[in-house]
Amino acid sequence: MTLAVSTTVTEIVAAELGRAPESLRPDTDLRAVEGADSIKVLRMVAKIEQAYGIELEDDEIFGLTTIDQVVAVVDKAIAREQG
Amino acid sequence: MTAATNQHYDLDPEIFARFLDPLRKYSSGLFDADTTSLEQAQRRKLSFVAGQLRLLGGERILDVGCGWGSLLLFMAQEYGCHMLGISPAARQHAYIAERVADLGLEKLVRTEVAQFESYEPERGGFDAVTMLGSVVHMAPLDAVFAKIRRALRRGGLLYLSESCFRSAAIRAAYDDRPGTEFVRHSIFGSGELRPLSELIAGAESAGFSIRAVHDLTSDYRRTIECWLENLRTLPDSPQRAELLHYLEIANAGWGYTTKHYALTCQKSR
Repeated sequence: MTLAVSTTVTEIVAAELGRAPESLRPDTDLRAVEGADSIKVLRMVAKIEQAYGIELEDDEIFGLTTIDQVVAVVDKAIAREQG
Repeated sequence: MTAATNQHYDLDPEIFARFLDPLRKYSSGLFDADTTSLEQAQRRKLSFVAGQLRLLGGERILDVGCGWGSLLLFMAQEYGCHMLGISPAARQHAYIAERVADLGLEKLVRTEVAQFESYEPERGGFDAVTMLGSVVHMAPLDAVFAKIRRALRRGGLLYLSESCFRSAAIRAAYDDRPGTEFVRHSIFGSGELRPLSELIAGAESAGFSIRAVHDLTSDYRRTIECWLENLRTLPDSPQRAELLHYLEIANAGWGYTTKHYALTCQKSR
C-alpha cells in the first residue's frame, strides 16, 4: 500500500463525508460513518478517479467498505494504467 | 467457437475474388445517392468506420475477424494506423501477407492466426477495436466484450457491425427453421444470430458506454444484390450454388427476420 495514496484517499473521503481526516482510520467502516451514503461514496470514487487519472472496475467500486480497501483498488488501478 | 466455424472462409480465395469487390470486403458496404459501384460502397463504409472511431492517424487498432484484410489495409494506407488482424482462417493470412508486401505496409500491418476466444490481446494496448460481422461466430458474449474492453485503452472505441434477428420473438420462431439451420451449419460451421438487444446488453455488462447504433440493413441488402449479380455471371459449380443459396436466403430475410446494425461503444464513464 502506498502511503501517499493512503493520505490522498483519506483526505478525499474525509472531505466528502465532512469529517476531519484524523478521525478516519484505515479500517473504519465507511458505511457506518454518520452521514455516509451511496451517493457520497460515488462522488468520492469520482474524485479519486479524477485525482489519479484512473478508472476503477465495477466490481472494485461496489463493495468498498474501508479506506484500506479503497487504497488497495486505487493501487491496482494505477498499476493497470501503467501497464 | 470451433475449427468448423471458418470452413466457409477457408474456401478457395479465388471464388471470393470473383464476386466480392477488389478489396475483398466480405461485409456490408454503405451506399448513398452518389454511390454507383460496390467498391465505392465498401470504401465509403470503411471511411464511415474510421469516422465512428474518430481516427486522426497513427492509432493502434485490433481487427477481430479480419477476413481478407480490407479494413487492415485501408486504415493503414489512409490513416497510417498500426493494425493487428486476427482470424482463425489460415488461407486469409497468406493472402493478406501478399497484399501487405505489394503495398509496402509491413511496418503497419500484422496478422495472427487465432480464435479470439482463446486469444489474449495486450491489455490496454489498442486505441480501437473493430469487429465487422465476426461476433456472430463467438460465444459467450460477456466474455468477448470483457476481453475487448481489456484490450482498449481508457477512452478507446469499439466498432462492431453484425447481422441480428429482428427481435427476441423472431429469434424464438426462426432459430430452428431450415434456412437458419442451413446458414448455420453449411456456411458458418457455427454461428449465433442474436437480437440487437443482446449485443447491447453484452456491451453494457462489460462496462461499455454505447455511443451510437446505426441501421445498415438496406445497405447490406444492396451489397448482397451486387454479390449475387457477380456470382450469377460465374460458371456453375457446387461452391457457386451454395453461395447463391446462402445469399438468397440472407437477402429474403432483411427487415422481416433479420437486421444489420452497427454499434459504436466506448470504454468511458
